[in-house]
Amino acid sequence: MTQTKTKLGRRNFILAASAGGAATAAAIVARTASKPKPVAADSDKRSGKGYQVSEHINNYYRTTKV
Amino acid sequence: MARMKFLCDAERCIECNGCVTACKSEHEVPWGVNRRRVVTINDGVPGEKSISVACMHCSDAPCMAVCPVDCFYRTDDGVVLHDKDLCIGCGYCFYACPFGAPQFPQAGAFGLRGKMDKCTFCNGGPEEDRSAVEFQKYGRNRLAEGKLPACAEMCSTKALLGGDGDVIADIYRERVFKRGKGSEVWGWGTAYGPGKPGAAPAPAAGAKS
Repeated sequence: MTQTKTKLGRRNFILAASAGGAATAAAIVARTASKPKPVAADSDKRSGKGYQVSEHINNYYRTTKV
Repeated sequence: MARMKFLCDAERCIECNGCVTACKSEHEVPWGVNRRRVVTINDGVPGEKSISVACMHCSDAPCMAVCPVDCFYRTDDGVVLHDKDLCIGCGYCFYACPFGAPQFPQAGAFGLRGKMDKCTFCNGGPEEDRSAVEFQKYGRNRLAEGKLPACAEMCSTKALLGGDGDVIADIYRERVFKRGKGSEVWGWGTAYGPGKPGAAPAPAAGAKS
């Protein structure tokens, strides 16, 4: 009886160890993949609203033709 | 994609300095800094020519090439801007620029050179568009408001043209065609030599260069 209990404990330990290892590996992969790139953040900061033709601009172009 | 450009028609510029005033007023540029100025060749001599100069937003900008901290960047519209948070005020860009566009406030003691300041084509900087921080560092962002640079828009004789390079080139070409002679862009004679149609006349004796 005592021998059977010892066997089950060892199996549980091995199962638990392998499951824990897999979970740690998955967490590392997820963290690496979700880490934001500093270059992308910088380029976002520098991208603003630029030139767009408006009525105001068309009016300016018209006045230069005088 | 539009490419922003300035072009000064030397035949029309009357050296009123209105563009300089408009720039300083629009962006509340500090003392000692002129993002734009008017240069006159052969000043006082009949036939003198004036041209309004600021950052020309070069396609292959020397300032970008020499900056040791890489604070310059070019927008999708071809406007050369810089990040004042990265600028160390070394002055390399000033030495590299053929137009003398980069300016340095000299308000500090012992000739301390502050962060570089230059024409932004009224397109602000890397901060959020039309924010208070952007205005304080770089001035007004008129492009984001659907407008063009204040200097060009308020030029009384429309000598200083600014906007989409293709449109500006067409406007200038039409002017040259109407005048019925060659291009009078300042520097034509220097670039292409005398004797060609539209070449700048030889400077009078005793003329200042």
